[in-house]
Amino acid sequence: MSGSKNPAVEVQGLSKSYGSVLAINGVDLSIGAGEYFVLLGPSGGGKTTLLRVIGGFVKPSAGKVLLHGHDVSALPPDKRPTTMVFQSYALFPHMSVARNVGYGLRIKKLPAKAVLERADAMLELVGLAGYGERMPHELSGGQQQRVQLARSLVLDRDILLLDEPLAALDANLRKDMCFELKRLQETIGITFIHVTHNQEEAMTVADRIAIIADGEMIEVGTARNIYEHPIKRFTADFVGENNILDGTLAAVEKSKATIDLGFGQVDVPVDNGTATKGATASFSIRSELLELFPTEGNLPNGIQALNGTYDEAVYLGLTISHMVSLPNGETINVRNISGANEAQGLERGAPARVGWPMTAARLHIS
Amino acid sequence: MTDKYGSIWTYRLKWAYTLLVVVSLLMPVFYVMYVSFNEHGFGAADYTFTLDWYGVIFKDKLLLAALGDTTILAIITTIIVVPFGLLAAKYYKRTQRKVLTVSLLLSPLFVPSDILGSALLVFFKNLSKIFEALSDWLGNEWFYGWFDLGYTTAIIGLVIYILPYVFVVILITMGRYRDEQTEAARACGAGAWQAFWHVEFPQIRAGIFSSCAFAIILSFNEYTRTSLLKGGYDTFTTVLISQFLNEGMSEQSFAMSSAVSFIAIAAIGSIIAFTLLRTEKLERTARAKALPVMST
Amino acid sequence: MPSDDTAETIAELDTVDKTEGSRWQPAPLTLFGRILGENGLGRWGLFLPVGFLLLFFLLPLMLTYVWSFFERTQFWMKPGFTLFSYVNFFTSARLENFLNSMWHSSISVAVAFVFGFPIAVFVRRRVPQVAQHRVILLFILPFMVSELIRIFALRPVLGRNGLFNTVLIDLGIITQPITSILFSPTGVIIGEVLSFLPFIVFAGFLSMEAVPKYVFEICDDLGAGRVRTMVDVILPLAAPGIFAGSVFIFVNGLGVALIPDILGGPGAVNAGLIATQAIAALDYPLAMAISAIMMTTLLALLYLGHRLFDLTKILTPFS
Repeated sequence: MSGSKNPAVEVQGLSKSYGSVLAINGVDLSIGAGEYFVLLGPSGGGKTTLLRVIGGFVKPSAGKVLLHGHDVSALPPDKRPTTMVFQSYALFPHMSVARNVGYGLRIKKLPAKAVLERADAMLELVGLAGYGERMPHELSGGQQQRVQLARSLVLDRDILLLDEPLAALDANLRKDMCFELKRLQETIGITFIHVTHNQEEAMTVADRIAIIADGEMIEVGTARNIYEHPIKRFTADFVGENNILDGTLAAVEKSKATIDLGFGQVDVPVDNGTATKGATASFSIRSELLELFPTEGNLPNGIQALNGTYDEAVYLGLTISHMVSLPNGETINVRNISGANEAQGLERGAPARVGWPMTAARLHIS
Repeated sequence: MTDKYGSIWTYRLKWAYTLLVVVSLLMPVFYVMYVSFNEHGFGAADYTFTLDWYGVIFKDKLLLAALGDTTILAIITTIIVVPFGLLAAKYYKRTQRKVLTVSLLLSPLFVPSDILGSALLVFFKNLSKIFEALSDWLGNEWFYGWFDLGYTTAIIGLVIYILPYVFVVILITMGRYRDEQTEAARACGAGAWQAFWHVEFPQIRAGIFSSCAFAIILSFNEYTRTSLLKGGYDTFTTVLISQFLNEGMSEQSFAMSSAVSFIAIAAIGSIIAFTLLRTEKLERTARAKALPVMST
Repeated sequence: MPSDDTAETIAELDTVDKTEGSRWQPAPLTLFGRILGENGLGRWGLFLPVGFLLLFFLLPLMLTYVWSFFERTQFWMKPGFTLFSYVNFFTSARLENFLNSMWHSSISVAVAFVFGFPIAVFVRRRVPQVAQHRVILLFILPFMVSELIRIFALRPVLGRNGLFNTVLIDLGIITQPITSILFSPTGVIIGEVLSFLPFIVFAGFLSMEAVPKYVFEICDDLGAGRVRTMVDVILPLAAPGIFAGSVFIFVNGLGVALIPDILGGPGAVNAGLIATQAIAALDYPLAMAISAIMMTTLLALLYLGHRLFDLTKILTPFS
């Protein structure tokens, strides 16, 4: 008998309000089986609430949640095919690591021997072989998260939810854990839904990313698309380092549009037909795609440029950021790898010209 | 420890004053205990230590019967009020109307015992009449006697009186508990009751047991509401007061009061000491495990 | 290096075949589950104690207002609407006694405040944080003794031949025993203070607990003198607690019949005693009228306090 071909998780028209505060506002989402899906967004934007609705810990005010095609809106967490890893404090402090991991199996009334075997095997999988008899408070943060993973994965459910699992860890440990999570997911093959506000984390692990902010789903796409081709202005602002300038559309053609910024005009590529002349628009360009060009002389082909005044350079180790002031008061950020173009010799206040390949910019209508 | 600006002597003086006040509050009781050991009774010039009076009270049939009834009352009340306190604490954590809820739960503290007792007495008498009328209308005797003054009504009165105390103790104990753990248990497949019993209860056990002890002692000691609501039988406190009023402070009364007070103080004192020592130890480990160490 | 067991576990875990899809189905609901709802007793079980209080506490107290207007019959009362009980009360000698008891209760509040509040301040400010609760719990100990015993025990202490007088005579401070401290208003006041002083300590401490300790340290840093700190900083911050504690003492002083009954002189009464005497005399409407008056006083005081001080601040440690 073949199973359901529906997406693993489907969210339809979901809303949740707490009193007068609207935490989630009409979100639709579809997550396929075996995906590593990330909900990325600023703190308080509703992504954790969304995750908890999927898990059954929060009842939605409107809308439906379907898991493998079945409406589970009325089911409590223990009756759903989901399990969850929390940010912290979620290990049972009065039980040893092995008993923690085996808890779900004991609930399922597995015989004690089987519980022990599976718990041990799972601990080995997460790299904590032999830690069975330790108590949670003896473990470090990273180890505690791994025990949580073991505890959830041993239940062999279809969907694993992770609520900012790496937020309490320091930067280096976070990087390692990201790779571990990705490896685990690829090995085991179930669906992971991971909530975070950290972009790098998201980009490292995700197959697809959904940007959630202010209770709304802004954009969904693969990590690459979200980064290189953001559709919404918010996405461009939130992911990566983008320079965003606002203006109005002066002219629209088949493959490009011209934006009037007030102090100059730039051309941007257009790939969908929703641009109309006169509309408010903005464009974004990633700081690593910008270059400082000499203020006189011709520009190479296909390069758009704006004139401004040089502010200063900020050394960041791997890269240097050159800050350039534009006539409208905003600052544009040119990021180069340290060592290249350093001998610009520009002083504060000197005129500067910032340029980029026209095709690298992105147009945003709101 | 002490702030840098005060002198150590002022600190000690204030400590001494605090302890003095506590002792003064307890002093009448200690005096009663002192007298209860005196063979010659109260007001006598000589003092001879004796345990005779305690022997007398153990032969007093009326008193022993009353003690028995009171114990039953206390146990049943505790069985009801502690789960109530637990449910109330959980309700409080979950509800949006927090101020309203906690005001309702703490309000029995503000209504004096005689007022509450009188109001409940009239309420129950009325309720009894209504139920009897209902029974008559139905043509049977099913609803007779439900709310006649007796065990049921006394227990209701006691539960109302004790609930605020139990509620506060349990709420404070639950303050240390992280809800994520219940959620994690649910996420592992445990139902609501299983999650509570396996994960939450072991961690709030101390608070639950202290509130049980608290509840037993409070119901044992309570007088006014019980006397108004108990109907015909005698409780420990009502026997005590009838003796006081009829015979004055007899030597037996001294002994009786002392015995019970001593047990109560010793019981609660040791529970407080034990719980606090245990909490300190738990706190130390909790502090260690709550903050994950920032390394692999 | 994954062992054989691990590989086995992984193989078992590989439930999601990407081509086949998941076979999970929600479990069918049992009859029991259908009745209780998905979360078991969760929904209305939690409401039980609150419902209990609403039914057996709030309702009877509200009904006292209704019953106070009933007419008295020989053994019970008759539904009706009459102000007889109130008129009776306000025009009788009881009124004067009642007002006296209010005055005595007020004195008790003041005395309790003077003796008890400094303790709350001391514990909050000077005692190390970890020990604070322990010290406050010391004041629980008197409650472990029955209120009955505590009040009655004052007779041998304050009486003619009691501890107090005996000690003073032995020390040579007085030659004749003082008789006015028992069976008198003074006795009542002493009884009330000793019974309820811990509540001022608790309430004062609780409302100051809501204030972080560094506020007090700032006072020291800024060089404020003792009195200034007290008046400008501590009293306003602790005001909700002080008020709540005072209301508690006042209302209980008026309402606990035991104290004037045992320690008061002939004819000493308070509202609680009038009410219980009325019940003993089978004059139920009168008892209800007294209760209603008491509760109105309580509610008025609490409302006043809330307007002045926002009493909800005391509840912050609970949220």
